[in-house]
Amino acid sequence: MNENLFSSFITPTMMGLPIVILIIMFPTLLFPIPTRLINNRLVSAQQWLAQLILKQMMMMHSPKGRTWALMLISLIMFIGSTNLLGLLPHSFTPTTQLSMNLGMAIPLWAGAVITGFRYKTKASLAHFLPQGTPVPLIPMLVIIETISLFIQPMALAVRLTANITAGHLLMHLIGGAALALISISPTTALITFIILILLTILEFAVALIQAYVFTLLVSLYLHDNT
Amino acid sequence: MPQLDTSTWLVTIIAMILTLFILIQLKFHKYSYPLSPAPKTFKSTSFPTPWETKWTKFYSPLLLPQQ
Repeated sequence: MNENLFSSFITPTMMGLPIVILIIMFPTLLFPIPTRLINNRLVSAQQWLAQLILKQMMMMHSPKGRTWALMLISLIMFIGSTNLLGLLPHSFTPTTQLSMNLGMAIPLWAGAVITGFRYKTKASLAHFLPQGTPVPLIPMLVIIETISLFIQPMALAVRLTANITAGHLLMHLIGGAALALISISPTTALITFIILILLTILEFAVALIQAYVFTLLVSLYLHDNT
Repeated sequence: MPQLDTSTWLVTIIAMILTLFILIQLKFHKYSYPLSPAPKTFKSTSFPTPWETKWTKFYSPLLLPQQ
């Protein structure tokens, strides 16, 4: 049962070839490049969505922070589309892999922090000591702030992994339960099926929200450091 | 938990870096948001010829006082 449950999270390889590479690259096919002034509906809709997200996200940044606009819009679109594609049956969701989320979180967080160190050294070091702390507490508070700084990329990665994995696992379990209950008691199976539908709606929301939260937090770390 | 099997981590991370930092950014890089078309006021780039900088009366035969 354990083996079966987690089997959808194994990185897919087909006869020794890592097709996970193709699966990760697949969402890029869903974003065609605009070639005209007025494009077709799909491209226009994506451009409109990108503009909406960009205006909302980059409003709070300084001009230096706004140089990250391309990175942040790519991030949110990549995670959002990957999560949504993962809701299709029998698909593999790359964002359930801790490796990928760590690979996204650590460079982006490190980029933001190193930018802060380079350009505003005093201000970024000042983050380690909140204003108005009593003098005896200073060493302990510096340690606590350092730990909370270094835990930021870990939390980013684990949050995304755990949310998506847990949602997929729950859908597997409840779907399996509904299937098994059909032969035993159809009404209970119906109730379980309704729970499954509600869960799927939740998972759609979670897919989008997690993309948003990831990007928002990176954006926040950027704001602190520019 | 299969996510903790580190043998596949390198492939996944490299594929993700390629996709996120190159492929997807190439797509979004091409999005352009032009301002709505509006008429531009233009300054004339032609300069007046030396005999036009000062107003002089035109001497044309038909404009001379008739004799």
